[in-house]
Amino acid sequence: MKSLYSFWVGLCLCVFYSTIVYAQPPAHALKNITIHHADGRISESATIVWRNGIIEEVGTNVTIPFDAYTIDGGDSLHIYPGFIDGMTVWGSPDLPKNPQRPRDPGNPGYERGGIQPDREPSEVLKSDSKEFAAAMKAGFTTAALVPKGYMLPGQVELFMLSEKETVKGVYAELGLAGSFTRAARGAYPSTIMGVMARFRQLMYDAKALHEHMGYYEQNPNMPVPQSDEVLEDLFPLIEKEAPLFFLANTREDIEKMLILKDEFSYDVVVVSGKEAYTMAAELKARDIPVLASIELPDTPKFYAASKKKQAAKKKEDTPDSDEGDAEDDDSGKEEQSEEEKAYQEKQLKAWKEQVHNIKTLKEAGVRVGYASVDMKIKDLGKHVKTLMEEVGFTEADLIPFMTTDVAAILGVENKMGNLEKGKIASFTVFDKPFTEKKAKALHSISNGQIFDF
Amino acid sequence: MAKFLIFNTVSMKKLIITCTVFLGMTILASAQEKGSVLIQNATVITITQGDLENTDVLIQDGVIKQIGEDLDAPRGVTVIDAAGKYVMPGIIDAHSHLNGFDINEAMNPVTAEVSMEESVDPTRVSIYRALAGGVTSIHLMHGSANVIGGQGETLKLHYGTTVEGMRFKGAPRTIKFALGENPTRVHGSGRGIQPRSRMGVEQVIRETFDAAQDYKRNREAYLEAKARYDKRKKGTPPVPVAQNLRYDVINGIIDGEILVHCHSYRADEILMLMRVFNDYGVKNYTFQHANEAFKVAPELAKNGAHTSIFADWWAYKFEVYYSTAYNATILNEQGVVNSINSDSGELIRHLNHEAAKVVHYGGTSENDALKMITLNPAIQLGIDDRVGSIEVGKDGDVAIWSAHPLSIYAIAEATFVDGVQYFNRANDTDDMRISIDPEADFTNAANFETILEGREHDACMKGAFILTETAAHSHN
Repeated sequence: MKSLYSFWVGLCLCVFYSTIVYAQPPAHALKNITIHHADGRISESATIVWRNGIIEEVGTNVTIPFDAYTIDGGDSLHIYPGFIDGMTVWGSPDLPKNPQRPRDPGNPGYERGGIQPDREPSEVLKSDSKEFAAAMKAGFTTAALVPKGYMLPGQVELFMLSEKETVKGVYAELGLAGSFTRAARGAYPSTIMGVMARFRQLMYDAKALHEHMGYYEQNPNMPVPQSDEVLEDLFPLIEKEAPLFFLANTREDIEKMLILKDEFSYDVVVVSGKEAYTMAAELKARDIPVLASIELPDTPKFYAASKKKQAAKKKEDTPDSDEGDAEDDDSGKEEQSEEEKAYQEKQLKAWKEQVHNIKTLKEAGVRVGYASVDMKIKDLGKHVKTLMEEVGFTEADLIPFMTTDVAAILGVENKMGNLEKGKIASFTVFDKPFTEKKAKALHSISNGQIFDF
Repeated sequence: MAKFLIFNTVSMKKLIITCTVFLGMTILASAQEKGSVLIQNATVITITQGDLENTDVLIQDGVIKQIGEDLDAPRGVTVIDAAGKYVMPGIIDAHSHLNGFDINEAMNPVTAEVSMEESVDPTRVSIYRALAGGVTSIHLMHGSANVIGGQGETLKLHYGTTVEGMRFKGAPRTIKFALGENPTRVHGSGRGIQPRSRMGVEQVIRETFDAAQDYKRNREAYLEAKARYDKRKKGTPPVPVAQNLRYDVINGIIDGEILVHCHSYRADEILMLMRVFNDYGVKNYTFQHANEAFKVAPELAKNGAHTSIFADWWAYKFEVYYSTAYNATILNEQGVVNSINSDSGELIRHLNHEAAKVVHYGGTSENDALKMITLNPAIQLGIDDRVGSIEVGKDGDVAIWSAHPLSIYAIAEATFVDGVQYFNRANDTDDMRISIDPEADFTNAANFETILEGREHDACMKGAFILTETAAHSHN
């Protein structure tokens, strides 16, 4: 977090310095647009002005600077703050397909054992990955990235998205990523309980090295500590300087994650958390945020069919006719057994619980933000639709969930999330409200840079 | 239906409603719920004080409060008439892999640092099936791929609760060891590392114990020096010795805090481990399977070692060719505390039959046979002060049987854990799953956790053959 802070200070100083010494680079302005703010407000016929990647003015009563390159939206464009992906593996190199069998499976070494906290996305990323362009077209301008991996896959860093070429080096370290993923076949740890034990031992080893290095600084006569990059990368956890972003979905995994947190008392953020609703009260009590996946389970077939039928019937019937029970129509078909009916009830209940995950968490007062995790971006629309139809989510729920709430969990809320003066100019221009059918992103402004689609 | 349990004051219809509500409540039960119940007019098999006819058992707030005739039901306590039926302590299975996410961390010959407490799945329907067999506690064990495997976890079958809710609070920690073919096959033949032979198995144990003792000395010396340095802030600080999870567990075994349960078959390897344990001062351990234990029964008795065996199952691989259905009886006669275990999600549902075989083959007394599935496993798990018999002050873990539990016709009708009813045959609906995959439709979900036909071969070896898959399904 320290480095994050210094990064921002540095950036601000740079901007400040350049404005004094050099001639100001030209501003950009978009006028006659509809701005959808993160807090749910909508400003029509509004204007947004940015320069040097920072928003200078935004609102309905804005004077456009004389040097601004101005585009007139003609009141047909919709501007959204850039969505922030709380955690994703976009651009990550793939995992090795058939990793070599270690000579001693019980001591496979750090990397083969899935222990890679030293990996930095900025170093391993395929920054020209098509996933970034796709994400920008879906409205994302910023993402916390982590490489694909195992129990300790690497660092989490924040990136400004940029099409085609490198995701420019505008990033900052946010913390470490962790999960209960077993090492690739044929190496320890091969079980979740093994991952737990391995993690503990790593922390014990890191603690000992940390102490040794501390002693050595004061007492150069004592034996020299042996440097160990992997263990040293765990120091931020020992010093409680950075959180562990931990991928956990089931109740049992979240419980285990909390056991480890309690043993070593670092900060933790739940990533993905598909069944985090089962732990809502505890997460709230401990103020542990969730970067929630919206990759929802498929709608049960029978339920999708009955909904389709209902919708068709509604269309057919006059408005005042009895809506009727869709199941009545099944009477002609083969009889459904009691057992099947009972099962379907259970299945639907389980499905609804999972679909309501984010809502349940929010209602319990848990801080929740968006994360793609390993969802394909093309599935975003499908899941957003389910959230709107089943859970009753509206734009007013979705926008903060994908912008300000994520920014707050990542600790960058002072710099991004909503569209206001002084924040980073990252936003997306849609041809209609983004939740509407066939809404399309026309431009993405990421860190002030304009991309046309 | 009328023959089944009938609540004293309610009609059958009400009974069903009550049961439904009751069951619904238990499914949502919070961790470690305690219940109260008065079971009347049963034949009570106490295990420790003989069989008591026409007797009532009062369980209040999860604990057995009174045993006697014509007990009064305190206000609000459910009354069950069990006239003509038998009440027995809940069966305890000292060897189970019933609901583990993972069973074997098979990547190292020594994995003392892992624990099955972190592999408990509280949602498996197999838990309910075990309850339906009158089982109330299990010893969830690590597999037998490693010489020193992971720690076990003793569970109470609180179906419908969390991992924490299933823990047998206060039960001592345990650990799995394994001798013979399994560890030599996985590590020796499979990966070309020690142990390749029974000699190697012994060596792995001795080397690990020695290393653990060395570590303990170094760690304690460091902690002492550190305390001195931190106090005086003078001199040279010590080089830190990191805590070692694996060796901490081994030292826990030497200190008697962790009970060893050792997978073993042959008499020679059983004797070997007793020699090793005598060298390191390890006491109070149990040999699991132990098909040749009868050959060394006096030696086992002399060392205070326990056995936990199958009633009559052997010849499923080379090291198990030599055995006998009289094993349990011989061990019992020689004063060895012996239990009968299932090691199987199927067999666990009728461990009473397995106990009956001991009477059938060896003529062991009925009470001693029942001890082998109640009090004796409790002793082996260090929980005999809490469960294993029906005595005032013990936990309300009991089952009601339709007939004497050693009868082939006997079925468990109701099972209570801490006084809470988790199984009621009168209200045994079709689908007792509490965890549903919303993506599995009815046709796919119908074959859930199929009860295996017959015995599950090599249940102990789950997940052990990731590297040597060709051998994975050979059972020799």
